[in-house]
Amino acid sequence: MRKIFLLVLLISFFKGLSQNRPLLYNVDDLPQALLQNPGARIDFTRHIGVPFFSQIHLFAGSSGVTAYDVFADNDGDVNDRVRNIMRDITSGDFFSVNEQLEVLSLGWKMSDRLYFSTGIYQELDIFAYFPKDPAVLAFEGNASYIGQDFRFSDVNFAGEVLTVYHAGLNYKVDNQLTVGGRFKLYSGIFNAESTSNEGVFRTVETPGGPNFYRHEVSGLNVRVNTSGYASLKEEEGMTVDKAVAELLSRSFFGQNVGLGVDLGFNYRVTEQFSVNAAIQDLGLMFHQKDVENYNYFGSFQTDGLEPLFPELDENEATIPYWDVFEEKLDQNLQDETTNNTYTTWRPLKFNASFQFGTGKSILPCDYLISKKPRFMNLFGMIFSGVNRPKGPTYGVTAYYDRKVTDNFRFRVAYGADEYTLTKFGLMMSTRLKNFNFYLAANDIIGYTNLAKANTASLQLGLQFIFKDL
Amino acid sequence: MPQTGSIIKFFLVAVFSLLMSSCFKDVDFGQAQEISLEPDLQVDLLYFQLDETDFLDSESSQYTPIIRDTVRLEFLDDDYIQDGLMYAALRFRHENRFPYDINSRIRFLGENGGRQFQVNYLIPQGSSAASSVIDTTRILEGNEINKLRRSIKMVVELEVVDGAGDLQGELDFQSKGLFKFEF
Repeated sequence: MRKIFLLVLLISFFKGLSQNRPLLYNVDDLPQALLQNPGARIDFTRHIGVPFFSQIHLFAGSSGVTAYDVFADNDGDVNDRVRNIMRDITSGDFFSVNEQLEVLSLGWKMSDRLYFSTGIYQELDIFAYFPKDPAVLAFEGNASYIGQDFRFSDVNFAGEVLTVYHAGLNYKVDNQLTVGGRFKLYSGIFNAESTSNEGVFRTVETPGGPNFYRHEVSGLNVRVNTSGYASLKEEEGMTVDKAVAELLSRSFFGQNVGLGVDLGFNYRVTEQFSVNAAIQDLGLMFHQKDVENYNYFGSFQTDGLEPLFPELDENEATIPYWDVFEEKLDQNLQDETTNNTYTTWRPLKFNASFQFGTGKSILPCDYLISKKPRFMNLFGMIFSGVNRPKGPTYGVTAYYDRKVTDNFRFRVAYGADEYTLTKFGLMMSTRLKNFNFYLAANDIIGYTNLAKANTASLQLGLQFIFKDL
Repeated sequence: MPQTGSIIKFFLVAVFSLLMSSCFKDVDFGQAQEISLEPDLQVDLLYFQLDETDFLDSESSQYTPIIRDTVRLEFLDDDYIQDGLMYAALRFRHENRFPYDINSRIRFLGENGGRQFQVNYLIPQGSSAASSVIDTTRILEGNEINKLRRSIKMVVELEVVDGAGDLQGELDFQSKGLFKFEF
């Protein structure tokens, strides 16, 4: 149990924002903007990423606890701190880890109005709510919680590793409206989820009853679905290293597939003011191969064991009360492993923003150039969210985006979300000839001491971006 | 392009600074070794409700002043008891409505029948109008906890003092344990 707790803590200390990347949203000279909004306005004519390096995205966050909260180097007792955290944190708090690695990325302008982009990326996404009631039961026991329910619904998590093949079109309808869509084929490598659990465990006092208490498990219905796990488990001599190698070998063609789309638009209300919105990963994963479901269900209650004082000879064995008890327990609280296919929604992401530009750029005086000048200073605000098992998580980010030159721009941002209310971010993108390097880090203050940060996220990438005039 | 060069230098310095400045401060992860689970569990043990028929032979109806039964408590052999149990408070409660005193002997035995510890007391006589209640708690901690760790059977024995075949009444028994663990 301690190992499980430490694992949960470890996950929570890889800090970050969420799957949404507000620092790259609306950055019109980065192809990654198209991954967030396929209808974004863009300012390039071709791009090709350095394989495996065009986007490395890392994020982890914890809404309820930081490393400092537990491991503060002061005179306090670590177990007291853990108990205080257990008291304060709720079953609505969560831990999240998200990683994306762009394997391949390329695109080109097909006509004056149409831009095609395609690529492959690998993604890991883990989202777990804090299992408060089971954790309290394990840490503190039932003695101080007589008459209270320990809810199995607090166990709620989802995790997946998959490869995404995608192709999208960005279409400039007119000078005001740009729309886009992206089709995605998901190749599932690994999935584990348990999101709709039910049932309670309680210990109640029974004055006038047969014993001091009655212990009850009522309406237990816990299900853990997995795909890509059974074959790892069943293989003899499987170690963590071997399991990782096996998962990597499935990277390009996993055993399960899914389909999804991204949709988005950008609308210039005036020359300076624009609004846009997008949804990502409106899609389903169909888990049909290498599937294993673990089911735990039933109801049971007991007041203890009741000796019947049978009339026995000295050589006769007594009644096996414990065996009878275990038999009843097994009959009423069952576990079953099945191989039923299941379907999961991909975590739907949504972004909406408005942006105001000032300071027009100056273009070379050449009648062959069809480009229109862009604004060098951009002020905007992004509303973003991710759909999760217990409902969406939200965030809002305000930013100032400055194009210093045609080859260098930066963005500073302030955001607030369910992890923290003080999230300062910085993005910088530079282009040397056609070679682009960008870096974005959110919750910069947190980087000075990750132990006290609830989140941090990092995106960086190397790619070739062409801006043919 | 000197301006671009300066910008890139600034950019690289910023990246380097960001990566180098990101660290964990003011924390001691060595405390992870000190984290312990310390659950306190309230668990029912045995219970029974006896009347006069339990002291009579079912075939001959002959009065038997002493009755006993043995219950295996297999959970006492589990790892979490053997490794983590630090304290136990065993509570036994008798409610006597027989008009006779009753000797209660509760013994905890090891696998081979060796007695590890016992809790004996007299339950005063009661009546149907006014039951006599005895509530006893036996605490085991320190070295004594090993007696419970070595136990696997709980023997409950009752002896009616000066009783006769025409006895009438009831005897209720409730028991539970408060088990404190440290993992």
